[in-house]
Amino acid sequence: MTKFLQLAVVGISTGSAFALVGIGMVLIFRTTNIVNFAQGAFAVIGGLVMVGLVDDMHGIVAGTLAVLLVALIGALIGVIAVGFRTRTTPLASLIITLGLALLASSLNLLAFGDRPHTYPTIFERAWNIGGVLVQPQFVIVVGVTVLAALLLTLGLQRTIAGQALVACADSRRAAELVGINVRAVAAIAFAVSAALSALGWVLLTPIDPVNYDSDVRIAINGFAAAAFGGLVSIRLALVGGLALGLAEQLIVGYAPGQARQYELAAALVILLVLIGWRSRHEAVE
Amino acid sequence: MKLLEVDDLTVQYGPAVAVDNVSLELEEGERVALIGPNGAGKSSLINAICGMVKPARGRIRVRGRELTGASPGAIVRMGITQVPEGRQVFPTLPVEANLLLGAYGRDFRNELISATIRYLRRKGEIADRLERVYTLLPKLHELRERPAGQTSGGEQQMVAIGRALMAEPRLLAVDELSLGLAPMVVHGLSEFLRRLNEEEGVALLLVEQNASLAFALCSRAYVLETGRVVLSGTSEELENNENVRNAYLGSGLEAADA
Repeated sequence: MTKFLQLAVVGISTGSAFALVGIGMVLIFRTTNIVNFAQGAFAVIGGLVMVGLVDDMHGIVAGTLAVLLVALIGALIGVIAVGFRTRTTPLASLIITLGLALLASSLNLLAFGDRPHTYPTIFERAWNIGGVLVQPQFVIVVGVTVLAALLLTLGLQRTIAGQALVACADSRRAAELVGINVRAVAAIAFAVSAALSALGWVLLTPIDPVNYDSDVRIAINGFAAAAFGGLVSIRLALVGGLALGLAEQLIVGYAPGQARQYELAAALVILLVLIGWRSRHEAVE
Repeated sequence: MKLLEVDDLTVQYGPAVAVDNVSLELEEGERVALIGPNGAGKSSLINAICGMVKPARGRIRVRGRELTGASPGAIVRMGITQVPEGRQVFPTLPVEANLLLGAYGRDFRNELISATIRYLRRKGEIADRLERVYTLLPKLHELRERPAGQTSGGEQQMVAIGRALMAEPRLLAVDELSLGLAPMVVHGLSEFLRRLNEEEGVALLLVEQNASLAFALCSRAYVLETGRVVLSGTSEELENNENVRNAYLGSGLEAADA
């Protein structure tokens, strides 16, 4: 039981980080119609920069700097992806993000080398609850994820700024006609979603080390979480991310021998089944 | 002072010339039509006026103020809004959000955060304007919570017009009002635009392929062909012009029927 609970705690934490990546993808898709494959790179750069900075300064300062830096990179990628011509299609933008993701991973390889990076946790102590070790980071990442999901859902539905964001994806032409600066909106959406993804791995690197090519795994997990919500539902992206994280940890913990290497594939199959079940459920309604 | 003056305007897409040296003007409170076949440059012309494409040459002025090359938002603030071709509502947003976003460029400028602050500060005034749009177009009040994409074509055209009115324009540029709508619906909308013009003094620039609708609604018209103004005059003059009758009013068919 203790083993199960411990795996669940870790699973929910990594699941939250996947959910943050997925929520970021949903945010970008809902505001620009772009499926952003550079989303994994945001997480990796966040984690790597954190590892690079954490020895020289207080962990909270390092984390804040890493998140802000990635937000800035995100804004830049957003502007490039949306393009300088009015007629850049979402498909072209998708290819641009894919290219930028490859570029980012090459640059990460040059800058950080080919080995997994991690740092010892910045918090002095963890809580021991009946034999289950709960690190403060776990609580923070879960809290941030739930809070982000809540605020973004409300923000997009209830505020004029959120509706302006959604309007850009709904009809770029009309959004421009009413005076919304579509490129600025894309930059904001990308910056926020980059910051969320980075935050996940700034917090989680101690239990889930990052390498230059971790972005593929992270992007796939995030995309699967986002796909669970049809790329438009923040709430379901949260559920999808948590389910993936949990499933992967449990497979790592309980699957026999070699099988545990395939935790990602197995988790994706589970999610695919869930997506299928959900869409049938919706079709019936 | 003229409300709108366009001088020698040229719009190019690469080497293709869409609008070729066009000049036109429009008085406060006037109703003017731009007619012409597909690809004549009508839409390019009003898109240049609304800041959606940058003209290659020429000038556009609103009440004497230069707006050539200004952003769409800046042009909205100068009192020109467009009802775009094909309506272009925000389909996933409720009708009311569609309308509120019409006030975005006018009142909120570009930045999302200051937009929200301004919105909260001017909530009362914007709510009054929303009430007025609902009074003018009561149907929108009934539909206010429905996603705009789930309303009929005519209703979407109302949403697009209502959205444009939220910016309190002095000039409403309507691109293809009649496109894809039933004649009854078009009639209702054009009567609405006439009333809006007569009662509120909003000037109209109507881009139309349906020339009889354009002549019925507008007092003057310009005929565009391959990017140039080939004819202009009062609707009456144009209606009686033989070339216009043959090309745009289908009088040949009516004669055959008789």
